[in-house]
Amino acid sequence: MSYWTAFILTLFSPVIGGFIYGLERIVRARMQGRVGPPLLQPFYDFFKLMDKRSIIIHSFHAFMGVMYLIGTWFALFVLLSGGDLLIAIFFHVLSLAFLVVGGFSVRSPYSVIGAMRELLHMVAYEPLYVLSATALYLVTGTFQVSGILHSEHVPLIYLPLLFIAVLFSLPAILKKSPFDTAEAHQEIIGGPEIEYSGKFYEAVYTAKWIEYVYAFFFIFLFAGGNHILGALLIIFAFFFFNLLDNVTARVNFRQMVAFHWYILIPLAVTNLMLIALWRS
Amino acid sequence: MEKIVYSLFLVPWVLALAVFLLPGARFHRLRQLITFLSLPALSFLTYLVWNGHLPLQIETPRWLNLAFTVYDYGLLLYFLYQGIKFRDFLVTVLALFQLFLLTWILLIMPESSVPDFYVDRLSAFMFLIVSTVGTLICIYATKYMEQENLERENRFVAILLWFLGVMNLAVSVNNIEWFFALFETTTLASYILIRFRWDEVSIKNALRALWMNQIGGIAILLGLLFGIKYYSFTHFTQFLSLSGKPAIVMIPLGFLAVSALVKGAQMPFHRWLLGAMVAPTPVSAILHSATMVKIAPYLILRLSPVIKGTLLAKLLIITTGFVFVGAGLLALTQENFKKILAYSTISLLGLMMLTASMGSSMAILASLTLILFHAVVKALLFMEAGVMEKLFKAKYIEDIRRLVERAPITVAFTSIGFMSMTIVPYGIFVSKWMAIEEASNFLSHGAYVGSIIFMATGGVILALLYFKVIGVMTRKRGEFLKFQLEKVPFAYLFSTVPLVLFVIVGSIFIAKLLCLSVNPVVEAVIGTPAPIIAKGLTLITPVSELYGWQIIGAFVLLLIVPILAYFVHFTGTDRVYEYTCGEKLELNIGTYNFFCIQVVEPFVETAAVALFILTLVLGGGLV
Repeated sequence: MSYWTAFILTLFSPVIGGFIYGLERIVRARMQGRVGPPLLQPFYDFFKLMDKRSIIIHSFHAFMGVMYLIGTWFALFVLLSGGDLLIAIFFHVLSLAFLVVGGFSVRSPYSVIGAMRELLHMVAYEPLYVLSATALYLVTGTFQVSGILHSEHVPLIYLPLLFIAVLFSLPAILKKSPFDTAEAHQEIIGGPEIEYSGKFYEAVYTAKWIEYVYAFFFIFLFAGGNHILGALLIIFAFFFFNLLDNVTARVNFRQMVAFHWYILIPLAVTNLMLIALWRS
Repeated sequence: MEKIVYSLFLVPWVLALAVFLLPGARFHRLRQLITFLSLPALSFLTYLVWNGHLPLQIETPRWLNLAFTVYDYGLLLYFLYQGIKFRDFLVTVLALFQLFLLTWILLIMPESSVPDFYVDRLSAFMFLIVSTVGTLICIYATKYMEQENLERENRFVAILLWFLGVMNLAVSVNNIEWFFALFETTTLASYILIRFRWDEVSIKNALRALWMNQIGGIAILLGLLFGIKYYSFTHFTQFLSLSGKPAIVMIPLGFLAVSALVKGAQMPFHRWLLGAMVAPTPVSAILHSATMVKIAPYLILRLSPVIKGTLLAKLLIITTGFVFVGAGLLALTQENFKKILAYSTISLLGLMMLTASMGSSMAILASLTLILFHAVVKALLFMEAGVMEKLFKAKYIEDIRRLVERAPITVAFTSIGFMSMTIVPYGIFVSKWMAIEEASNFLSHGAYVGSIIFMATGGVILALLYFKVIGVMTRKRGEFLKFQLEKVPFAYLFSTVPLVLFVIVGSIFIAKLLCLSVNPVVEAVIGTPAPIIAKGLTLITPVSELYGWQIIGAFVLLLIVPILAYFVHFTGTDRVYEYTCGEKLELNIGTYNFFCIQVVEPFVETAAVALFILTLVLGGGLV
């Protein structure tokens, strides 16, 4: 992928993410037997929020919300520009850091608990993504995203267990049920988001849309050079994770970390070991 | 050239003597000046060594050998005396055992004509760390002790300076018997420094540090003993000649590696380093960063060409990787700021030794980068811990709550220190990245798969830990009404600012730094340099690239913008208090301490003991 394509794609990622989110709300509603909001509802919300007068605790906190948006945007560009996959993963950590520091910077119990849980989300899914990067390297022979996208191997065939693991940890990265402890609207009222409002809430919200693009692009990588399969994988992952969101209840953070560390990571490692042994 | 190397040992000792002989409050300024002199003097000498013709082998006169033997006995008898004086069973018995082993070795020690000093780029690299980071800590210590106990300042600073000389000497000897002497001298130095306050806890922790490190000394002696028995080897360079040969007896190497694990405070021998926190803060700074614990990765690096690819190396990878994760986990349960730093040192030492035992050129590069950046960052963080302690009376996480309102500089420096240990694009991240990518090449070996799991999980656990602390520090009640910097004494700024600058500049120019400064060291350690290329700011490794724009982008995000955040004031917005469901509460937010993890502590330690024994028994070939 050239820098220009990556740049344009990154620039429009909030729009793409917004559409995905709108679609998600419809799909989720249909699964529950409701009609759901119009597809453009996220954008209506966007313009409404932009119009509101902002209420903030202090500027540092509000500023960190904006930084979270910029950081996520930059992390997405790092991923799409075709550079090193591991570095792109760690840039994602960097962007989360802003949300976390912002969440910690106010004296709100909800925000602080949410920020802490945000870090625990990271503890849960991060090792899995590092393992995926090494596994993709093992199959395609490169850490460069552009290399993986032009590889003649289809990593999915070699890494089915790892793909399942990543699929199950999608809710953790996007904060959806069952792994939505960081936001947990009924419990801690949105966690680190709670003290944002107006434009600043919009920044945090848009960053979440960008994270959709980020996460689904990661799924796309599992198809290697076969881009049609990649699109199918994304559609499958989208429906799967909406289904999961609908049929599961929230677990607590220990169960979340335990599920990732004791079930998903061993699953991924088994896959990795077997492939490596087979190839040596 | 020999004279320059000798003066690297002697100059700190002379300065130490000068400081020691100027007691009392009157000479405080003079002592500060003398201590300050150590920085330019040692840096210049290191510069000369670095640019000299390396490796350098120095033949020494015979009397020096005799002197070292006499010194060995004197040192061990002193340990014995301390054991008897404080009625410490372990210290006494271990000292006796050491005396016995030493005598045995001297009886069977073969004559050898191998030069006793071997100064290569690895030694010069350690000189570099000691002579910059170490001396900065000494300068810092003069101010710290002025605020604590001016009467005993001369003694304290003198010991620190003397310690630097010992460290320089320890990394340049070739004779393993001498290495043992210096290994135990660093033990002695840490013992004296830890008990410096002479209260009950200090003495207890000092004795613990003593006996644990004595076990390391015993391991070296046993390694030497078996080295003589199987190969008649008494020098490191002789061991290096074994590299690449199949079916060698691993027993001596196993024992030497174990001594490194003990010195590097790897679990289960981690308690001595935790105990060091009772001493004045410069002690922790110097033990954790420039001296003492850095002997451990140094020793593994020395041996890594020989142990590369053996079972010992693989077991070392698993053991140290486990410690990397385990120590990080236990750090989460701590509330004491210095204890958190100590656990994270143990954890990162594990990572250094893990990468060193991998033994390939990229892994060695990662290890050296870690050693360099960790030394700088840990020195910085401990100095900031001392500043918090002295200026803000903060020792616990609870005390540093909302520190950003009072001390923006301290918080900024501490945050940079913490972030540089986990996040893109700082040096420690780069070395972790290189290590993961290097390990990906050997995934058919369980040890390397293990190393990736350990590096990935350990990394996020440390990130969790550091952001927890940063979060507590940066919390604030409302807007900055008036932006005001705290008054930090000049000596503190003088010793911390260069470190902060190095971390930032070194990370921006990481590609150049690795190619020009660290890669020659890699070549000295294993014979071939790592295949990396610097193109502008871009670092090109065999399998991947770290682009310059990524580094710059991350820095813009991380540094410039949060600093702006101090000054950005949004207008046209309303200020409110935090949402509390409409209840009127006194908001006093603490932090998570993860007491739930304390449950696993015994299991972590048991597993660490098991891995430790496995490393010795299977890795050392004692089966």
